[in-house]
Amino acid sequence: MSDRLFPAQEIGSLARPRWQLLGQRGEPLDAAARSEFESWDRRLGFAGELPDDRDALLAGRPDGASGDGVRDLAALFALRYLEAAGLDRVYDGEARRVEMYEHPVRQMDGFEFQGHVRSFDSKYYRKAAVVGEVRLDRPYDVEEFEFVRRLARAEPKVPVTGPYTLADWSYNEYYLGRQRGWKGRAARRAAQREFVVDLARRAIRPTLKALIDRGCKVVQIDEPAAGTHPDEAELVVEGFNAATDGLDAEFIMHVCFSDYRALLPALLEAKRCSQWAWEFANRDSEGHDAYEVLGALREYGDTRSVGLGVVDVHRDPVETPAIVADRIRRAAKHLGDPARIWVNPDCGLRTRSLEVAHAKLRALVEGAALARAELGSPRR
Amino acid sequence: MDVLTGLTSPFPRSEALVKATRDLDRGRATPDAVEAVYRSAELEVAALERRLGCSTRTAGYLRWPDLFRAFAETWEGFSVGPLTRWFETNTFYRQPILLAPPIRVPGAFAARLPPPLAADPAGARILLPGPYTFAGILDNRSGETDFALVHRLGRLLADEVRELRGRGFATFQFTDPLLVARPPEGPRAEAVVEAYGSIGRACDGGTSIVWTFGGDAVPAIRLLDRLPASVVGIDLAETDVERIPRDGERTTIGLGVLDPRTTLAEDPTDVVRVVRAAAERRGARTVWLGPGASLDLLPPAPAVRKLEVLPDVQRRLRTGGER
Repeated sequence: MSDRLFPAQEIGSLARPRWQLLGQRGEPLDAAARSEFESWDRRLGFAGELPDDRDALLAGRPDGASGDGVRDLAALFALRYLEAAGLDRVYDGEARRVEMYEHPVRQMDGFEFQGHVRSFDSKYYRKAAVVGEVRLDRPYDVEEFEFVRRLARAEPKVPVTGPYTLADWSYNEYYLGRQRGWKGRAARRAAQREFVVDLARRAIRPTLKALIDRGCKVVQIDEPAAGTHPDEAELVVEGFNAATDGLDAEFIMHVCFSDYRALLPALLEAKRCSQWAWEFANRDSEGHDAYEVLGALREYGDTRSVGLGVVDVHRDPVETPAIVADRIRRAAKHLGDPARIWVNPDCGLRTRSLEVAHAKLRALVEGAALARAELGSPRR
Repeated sequence: MDVLTGLTSPFPRSEALVKATRDLDRGRATPDAVEAVYRSAELEVAALERRLGCSTRTAGYLRWPDLFRAFAETWEGFSVGPLTRWFETNTFYRQPILLAPPIRVPGAFAARLPPPLAADPAGARILLPGPYTFAGILDNRSGETDFALVHRLGRLLADEVRELRGRGFATFQFTDPLLVARPPEGPRAEAVVEAYGSIGRACDGGTSIVWTFGGDAVPAIRLLDRLPASVVGIDLAETDVERIPRDGERTTIGLGVLDPRTTLAEDPTDVVRVVRAAAERRGARTVWLGPGASLDLLPPAPAVRKLEVLPDVQRRLRTGGER
């Protein structure tokens, strides 16, 4: 881990390059996809590391239906893309995952997908119902991590969707169906607790253990749903603890688009969590200091590090390094300790183009350097 | 017991509409082609509402990105802000930013209503944001205090209702979940009562419905009782029937009896039991039943399965069977 102030990390998924989408479908690259591939290869020099996969992709025979070679290339591309931006912690842009909900749920037994649900505007995601007891035949993401570990030049950090979010984003049929009579508030709470704990113990914990056994040292547990029901913050923590207790790794909890004050102090009981990675930039504006909420951690005497969202993932305009530095400066003041600050995007950059996302990441790294030059001393 | 039923929120988009709107975003479909899919999907929802015997019709409000966009994009004083997570689900809305005191633009909201509603305005249910939730979810940079804003939004929504009354519409639902999720107190509560007073006067013989969900209604029940509305709806997935106070002067109440957070279809016997218990505790003789939270949290198939429970429940409650 870097001993500089304000090390930088990614937080989640990246947009899929067109060449990946076509390649995974077994289709030859069109002119736009070829140009995109070649342009990024000139900048990052990644494709020469997997020459057979590159040649197959460019020759229009990207290993047919399996798409494994294309996925390897895409994962390597994301690694080099994040490293080139100057990040200290990286992953593969979740290049092999459909998205953060569907991917883990497809690895488990007990779920049935029901159809598309709107997230916003004309963006949708597939949502599943749990119709039987959650079971996992074999841990997931292990091969994905081993690929990253083998090739990464910066420190890998594995994102894993947390049990509370998986439960909250699913329809609870099985566990709720076991409750008798009217499925009111009390029945729903009891059923949700069973569901979260089963997910944590039967699916996520075995996966974390397998990752750690293969050398994984840093895991980011994504719990974006935590903010939707602040009165269930204790259940978020119960799931987190059930998944991580006794495991030997650094665990980060990522929460976004939430009223963090409403989650405190309950969240502080997440025993193995050593960093909060939270979104702020989206709501930071002139006249509204989004980082002020960090004062709450100080009030509670919490001394964990903070992954500070300093670039907005929902808007195209690229933050200047000066804006990033200003955000870090304010956060350091509210937190009372600059040495506990990491910087990251608010959330995954998947909704931005690769060009915009890279510019934002570079601004993030440059902004951190500006703040470092000003605030000085190394991390403790 | 008199029982009325109906949709209380946008209906889920069909897979055909999901595909069409995605294709439009990606430049693979023309607006005209997508418009044809919208029209077909709206007629399907209207037909479903007829088949289920719904007392009011919505045609699904399938075109609406969220409850507030029609105003944020058309009323003066607003701009459309960043994606913001809805307070109790994994869905997002673009947060309206209020830069100056808002000014209503006549005709702008009416132009965004589902086209099939114009054919039978008297039977339509118009969905509008409640003034308290509207004020609570926006980014207020106008300089107005929160409760002055609730007042102002109440007056503007009342003007909207007046215009729509003039077009023949008669039933207006104000979706106001924050009333129970974050109940207002003191001057804010008074501002809410006055805002609904403005709206109630504008209804002028029509029906005004305040629909809440996303929280236990019991702590807010005294305020809800004071709202000058024809019907106030509470979500029985969030509110324990046994804790609803045994008083109240409304003879008509609204009850959210379908829970769109789960695909598990409700058992009609359970629904009949809780509706009877809630009506008895409130002394109500007429109930409006529907989904509690927004039905578009579900895909269409399980949403229809849930709605299909309502006619059976309605029949049993009307005939007094299966006590």
